[in-house]
Amino acid sequence: MQGSTRRMGVMTDVHRRFLQLLMTHGVLEEWDVKRLQKHCYKVHDRNATVEKLEDFINNINSVLESLYIEIKKGVTEDDGRPIYALVNLATTSISKMASDFAENELDLFRKALELIIDSETGFASSTNILNLVDQLKGKKMRKKEAEHVLQKFVQNKWLIEKEGEFTLHGRAILEMEQYIRETYPDAVKVCNICHSLLIQGQSCDTCGIRMHLPCVAKYFQSNSEPHCPHCNDYWPHEIPEVFDPEKERDAGISKSSKKSSRSRQH
Amino acid sequence: MPRGRKSKLRARENRRQAQEEDLVLQRATAVSHTEPTNRDPLDEMVVLSVYYLLYKYQIKEPITKADMLRNVIQVYRNRFHEILKRASAHMEMVFGLDLKEVDPYRHIYVLINKLEISYDAILDDVREVPKTGLVMAVLGVIFMNGNCATEEQVWQMLNLMGLYAGRKHFIFGEPRKLITKDLVEANYLEYRQVPNSDPPCYEFLWGPRAHAETSKIKVLEFMAKIHDTVPTAFPSLYEEAVKDEVERARARAAAKAHTAAMASARSRARATSPSRPNKV
Repeated sequence: MQGSTRRMGVMTDVHRRFLQLLMTHGVLEEWDVKRLQKHCYKVHDRNATVEKLEDFINNINSVLESLYIEIKKGVTEDDGRPIYALVNLATTSISKMASDFAENELDLFRKALELIIDSETGFASSTNILNLVDQLKGKKMRKKEAEHVLQKFVQNKWLIEKEGEFTLHGRAILEMEQYIRETYPDAVKVCNICHSLLIQGQSCDTCGIRMHLPCVAKYFQSNSEPHCPHCNDYWPHEIPEVFDPEKERDAGISKSSKKSSRSRQH
Repeated sequence: MPRGRKSKLRARENRRQAQEEDLVLQRATAVSHTEPTNRDPLDEMVVLSVYYLLYKYQIKEPITKADMLRNVIQVYRNRFHEILKRASAHMEMVFGLDLKEVDPYRHIYVLINKLEISYDAILDDVREVPKTGLVMAVLGVIFMNGNCATEEQVWQMLNLMGLYAGRKHFIFGEPRKLITKDLVEANYLEYRQVPNSDPPCYEFLWGPRAHAETSKIKVLEFMAKIHDTVPTAFPSLYEEAVKDEVERARARAAAKAHTAAMASARSRARATSPSRPNKV
């Protein structure tokens, strides 16, 4: 982090509008963010040139710095898509969800989060989560209601559901990484390549190190004989393909062997 | 809106109060961890106040001085106006949200969006233009059915427009995906299972973006036009829409009134009492 030597940027209505809409959406994929940026220019400053997204966001972040909030860029764990969210750096709890959920709902999320972090695969089954419904703080919740709340988490992009199992959405990882690392320091898993929090990924059968799927894709790109970067044993898993935003837009399918330009925050 | 409104609101309010205190306590500890301790504690108060104001804005509740003192400012209560002034300067400069005092006697404030979004915002987005009519129509069905419409009711309307589930439309694409997925992800609609329904059936509500980008009166005007009539042809809906608009206009009028409303002089003149009963 650059800190106080960073020159403070200038906020115009274009930036404010962008910030408002990003806050409303919670999390957005990069192509949506670019579209949002263009929309803000169109509404508030039609004739100006649209600034490069990275500079635009850095400008806003320099103003947000004194409030300990930041527009953070991350990457989805399953397919390496870049995503953006407005993150409160000072909040070390899940209270950022508090504006949408009641006390017992937040506790349900906390329970699901713990199961996800403790799991080997990064997924917690619906059954296991629902079995904890009796232990929730606040108003009593029935399992049927809890099912509905879990769907609310999915809709609000805090959780992802796959075949009856739940894992963290990229948004939750972006917003809560710090909280998770501080609260569960022993259970937390970390990627061997980017050193960020890891929920879903691949692991070495021999030495146990883990890597995110997009990190695996990038590291083993066009390598026909992948070996573990730590113990050099043969890497036993299928190497996923790197996310390419260009091809994605044209073909509507994710293909590649071009380098992906995503970056990851520590 | 759910039934048993008054008692549910009160219970919800009590829970919120407790939650708010929890929230702010956690953030207070958090902020103090992020920086060296020779920082001005008032700066910290300002930052926490900004978070609190944003939270209240997102849950669409007005801000009272009493709540702010209790949940955020606490020991620094004698610096309340200074803290609030600095916090509201941040809100305006960074987020384009204006803090206005709507009740100078009970010290109630609201945040007004200076970058007020209008119906045109939906049209401006070129990609969304073909869908605008559809979005408004779905919002209309929802509003006309008491702010919550079953999937069946929505399909009845879409079928009238020539849209059928599973049948791809040359402009809208496949309508089922559009309303249950795309528009939900874009935050225009909320799609949820009817509680305790078995076999499960689903209902639609307005999403947060719909609330932000349009209003009941605008949607009613749109629906009236479709039915080749005027909004007043739906008296109870018209009444509800007008009430909603009055609340918005009141907030806007307060904004126009005066910015100096936060000056301490007037606030000391009258006896104040908190606007809400003490929570549990």
